[in-house]
Amino acid sequence: MKTTTEELIRIENLTVQYETDDAVVHALNAVSLFMRKGETLGLVGETGAGKTTLARSILRLIPSPPGVIKSGKIFFDGMDLLSLSENQMRAIRGNSISMIFQDPMTSLNPVMSVGDQIMEVVEAHNKELSKAEMEKQALSMLEMVGIPSSRSHEYPHQFSGGMKQRVIIAIALACNPTLLIADEPTTALDVTIQAQVLDMITALKTRLNTAMLLITHDLGVVAQNCDRVAILYAGQIIELGTLSDIFKRPTHPYTKGLLGSIPSLTKEVRRLSPIKGMMPDPTDLPPGCKFAPRCQFATDICRQAVPPSYQISDTHQVRCVLANAEVHNG
Amino acid sequence: MKTSDVRKQRTLAAETWRRFRKNKLALAGMIVLITLVLIALSTIVIDLVTDNAIYNNYVIKQNLRLRLQGPSKAHIFGLDEFGRDILMRMIWAVRYSLFMGTIAIALSTVVGVILGSIAGYYGKVTDNIIMRFMDVLLAIPSMLLATAIVAALGTSLTNVLIAIAISYVPTFARTVRASVLTIKDQEFIEAARAMGASDFRIIFKYILPNSMAPLIVQSTLGVAGAILSIAGLSFLGLGIQPPTPEWGSMLSSARSYIREGWHITVIPGLGIMITILALNVMGDGLRDALDPRLKN
Amino acid sequence: MAEPLLKVEHLKKYFHTNQGTLHAVDDVSFTLNKGETLGVVGESGCGKSTLGRTILRLHEPTDGKVFFEGKEITTLGKLEMKNIRRDMQIIFQDPFASLNPRMTISETIGESLLIQKIYTRKQADQLRKRVLELMDFVGLSPRLVNSYPHELDGGRRQRIGIARTLALDPKFIVCDEPVSALDVSIQAQILNLMQDLQDEFGLTYLFITHDLSVVKHLSNTIAVMYLGQVVEHAPSLQLFEKPLHPYTQALLSAIPVPDPDYEVNRVLLQGELTSPVDPVPGCRFAKRCPYACDACRKADIPLKEVAPGHFVACTLV
Repeated sequence: MKTTTEELIRIENLTVQYETDDAVVHALNAVSLFMRKGETLGLVGETGAGKTTLARSILRLIPSPPGVIKSGKIFFDGMDLLSLSENQMRAIRGNSISMIFQDPMTSLNPVMSVGDQIMEVVEAHNKELSKAEMEKQALSMLEMVGIPSSRSHEYPHQFSGGMKQRVIIAIALACNPTLLIADEPTTALDVTIQAQVLDMITALKTRLNTAMLLITHDLGVVAQNCDRVAILYAGQIIELGTLSDIFKRPTHPYTKGLLGSIPSLTKEVRRLSPIKGMMPDPTDLPPGCKFAPRCQFATDICRQAVPPSYQISDTHQVRCVLANAEVHNG
Repeated sequence: MKTSDVRKQRTLAAETWRRFRKNKLALAGMIVLITLVLIALSTIVIDLVTDNAIYNNYVIKQNLRLRLQGPSKAHIFGLDEFGRDILMRMIWAVRYSLFMGTIAIALSTVVGVILGSIAGYYGKVTDNIIMRFMDVLLAIPSMLLATAIVAALGTSLTNVLIAIAISYVPTFARTVRASVLTIKDQEFIEAARAMGASDFRIIFKYILPNSMAPLIVQSTLGVAGAILSIAGLSFLGLGIQPPTPEWGSMLSSARSYIREGWHITVIPGLGIMITILALNVMGDGLRDALDPRLKN
Repeated sequence: MAEPLLKVEHLKKYFHTNQGTLHAVDDVSFTLNKGETLGVVGESGCGKSTLGRTILRLHEPTDGKVFFEGKEITTLGKLEMKNIRRDMQIIFQDPFASLNPRMTISETIGESLLIQKIYTRKQADQLRKRVLELMDFVGLSPRLVNSYPHELDGGRRQRIGIARTLALDPKFIVCDEPVSALDVSIQAQILNLMQDLQDEFGLTYLFITHDLSVVKHLSNTIAVMYLGQVVEHAPSLQLFEKPLHPYTQALLSAIPVPDPDYEVNRVLLQGELTSPVDPVPGCRFAKRCPYACDACRKADIPLKEVAPGHFVACTLV
């Protein structure tokens, strides 16, 4: 449910590498995407696709060395984040852009109470508030995530995994950011708890009109929580579109393969159709299309040059020469 | 694949060596030690080949007229209180410190590994009995313990070795026990048990090979300590007996002559110091190289 | 009617902790026929992993009996148990943690053969030949024969885990979340492999997982566990079409389906998953159940057969 269609963040041709002793890891290769205010973009990819690198690049949290942002721009609210100073970035982190990580067990400081941890982020960005006002804000955040404020003096180890994740969400949303980056926020949680937490996140972000970059490998989570989807493979966005574009009209062979390899709750499937092979080694990427070695439709053109991203509808982009046909037909 | 996986295919040993090499200090320590080992080995060979001729004519030969002479062109490190060439004595002393230290620690390691792995693997009563006994040994200062054993058994080389070995057993037992406790709950141990592997096989083929890192570091540092203990015992007159050259005993005999020549105390002291330093630095380097958490 | 391959009767496994006695597995009974797959599903703390290990006596059962091919194995001595272990094996969840980091692939697979004395060290040639054969069965390239686990990805490591259990020619395999740690596209490869091996070698699986969609695909029957007890046990299709226990219904509704048009009838559960420490009599799910009533909290509710092969532990059914 978008309230405006204004653009919030635009990433253009972002290329990030890790320069290690042995080799150069090409983590992200000319990634471009954009998000609108209030919408949820699902970023789907398997291990090694570059999802976490992308998330960290937005907040400039890439460890450097060995990480290097080789080129590209990230426009947020009119500024290019890559050109800001560290101090300016610090003012943005936790304030206009927040991030939550996968493992709730290690994301919280074990020696601070949960209430104090929420207050800490409020204090960092709102120095003019009094202590009482900060405390009030922290308590109201706790209630918003479904934790009784009477528990604000308790320590992380006294909470279960699902509740810890709620605390983390409270900390992330405490300063009312316009963008929330959620890196596999429910992967470590049980299914019934995952359902609770995702519902809560969706309710909250709708209420606060926060945009969310939801990073996950779970297509089911994407289908039920996102407005648009970007599929990441070997550091490139190979398909981008709305929910129905991706699920009803998947075009890239990888996307189709991914959808076909998931065991389904709703359909009778005798045998799964996995994609043969594996994602290429990011230190040794093939020259042309990164998916060509595994693709049953690959031709010589595919192997020679990286295919450009074709716009096959207003909302739907595909990085595949097969999509070219769609452009002419569609 | 995460960036931490991206590495050329290497065995764990090669990877460790690569990391060790980067630590210049540790590398220097290792070179010093290799040099000392070569010196020690060559003295053994020379003695065998010349039938102790060099030993008799240069190392223990006394020249009372020239006693306590300072460093000169003919004798680089000078002469000791019996007119013996200090340089030659220093060179011949290396093998006692180094090899005895190593043998003592090797003995210690074997016993410590057996006790530590049994204690760690079987736990409960067995663990308690073994570790309390280790605690008793640890409670006694190692020099005192070594002194007591040597005084009881006599001052032969073997007894000195036994004394030092015993005093180090608790350290190794503890180290191995800690490793065993960490590893025995890991899944690949459960997998081995699920296949029907015996306890013996699990301990020696699965757990111990994976606990090498702390053991190697502890052994290297242990040799340093053992050398110091040997020097200390000899200093007290309980270790190597004169005229056999040994740094500790050289220091001991030089005590009375400090005012008459700096060289007879300083040189052996430096010898001990440099050896211990090299071992410690190498041990630290090994520990850093073997520590998986330092992987970037 | 042939004798079931595995019969579990009133199996219990309790752990003593500082907080009290943890009833990890509490009175679980079922039978499993040769060539079939029983899926055991549940969330953290339900006891499914402990159940798998207790059946294999990797944990010693606190009470209850396990019969394998008609013979009671719960009371066997160490040596006899070692022989049975050839027939009853386990595949672990974490492909990295379950492999000895110091052993190459061929050494790891060879270990099974050596421990069970299928080959001796002197028969190095036959050993190597069999190792290569097994690697081929599970789709591992022969050039990987001297690789170490840390050099390989999750999918390949899991294949090693499968090859090593296959080496013993087992009849029954406990699969403890074998694909949970793998990427989606690799999961599909491994699941297909397991299916193929089952067809080719007539294997019987106890498939433990938290992912109901995976288990629907592979299982003949499914048992749903909650806090140490089986709350529903039914043939696969029936469980999905007509889940009777409120927990099963909630579990099914919580699974995100990769179809944006799918009608989500979410049964949102209140409260958290707890641990079954010193449980009081009564349904353990009552605290979170939307339909709980007084009858639910009075005494433990036994499994009742409400349709052929369909068992539920609930007062409302």
